[in-house]
Amino acid sequence: MLGTVSKQLRSHPALIPLFVFIGGGCVMCAAYLARLGICSPEVSWNRNGNPEPWNKLAPTYQYKFYAVNLDYSKLKKEGPDY
Amino acid sequence: MADHIEEKIKNYRTAPFDARFPNTNQTRNCYQNYLDFHRCNKALSDKGQETSPCDWYQRVYKSLCPMSWVERWDGQIEDGNFAGRV
Repeated sequence: MLGTVSKQLRSHPALIPLFVFIGGGCVMCAAYLARLGICSPEVSWNRNGNPEPWNKLAPTYQYKFYAVNLDYSKLKKEGPDY
Repeated sequence: MADHIEEKIKNYRTAPFDARFPNTNQTRNCYQNYLDFHRCNKALSDKGQETSPCDWYQRVYKSLCPMSWVERWDGQIEDGNFAGRV
């Protein structure tokens, strides 16, 4: 199948940007899904070994890419320790 | 620590920002504070200390959780049916 595609690409080189952009889009989608699965604080892949993953985060944990108004380094744990 | 918390409880307005729950859906925030309140009560009364600092968690979950959920969970705790680890 790859042989057919590369033969067709050689005779119609204008199709290469199509592959580049569609491929880039697929990579970005996969990367976002991977980020959700790995970095989201509510996702636990192993319910017995990792029951409450959000409790392992520091109070200064930043999930957003860019924080406009909130200075995450100044956040502290709110409730009392027990 | 105890009077620091007392002051925070006295000046309480609403649930503060919690970085552990960054998304719009704050269900987990509500549930976690409910669990923390009961775990804190259990831990401090087992150690023989006063449980008044735990009121912070109660204020937060009362701000966040729908009343029907709180009533249902309280009923389940009384009956011994509550599913969470408290």
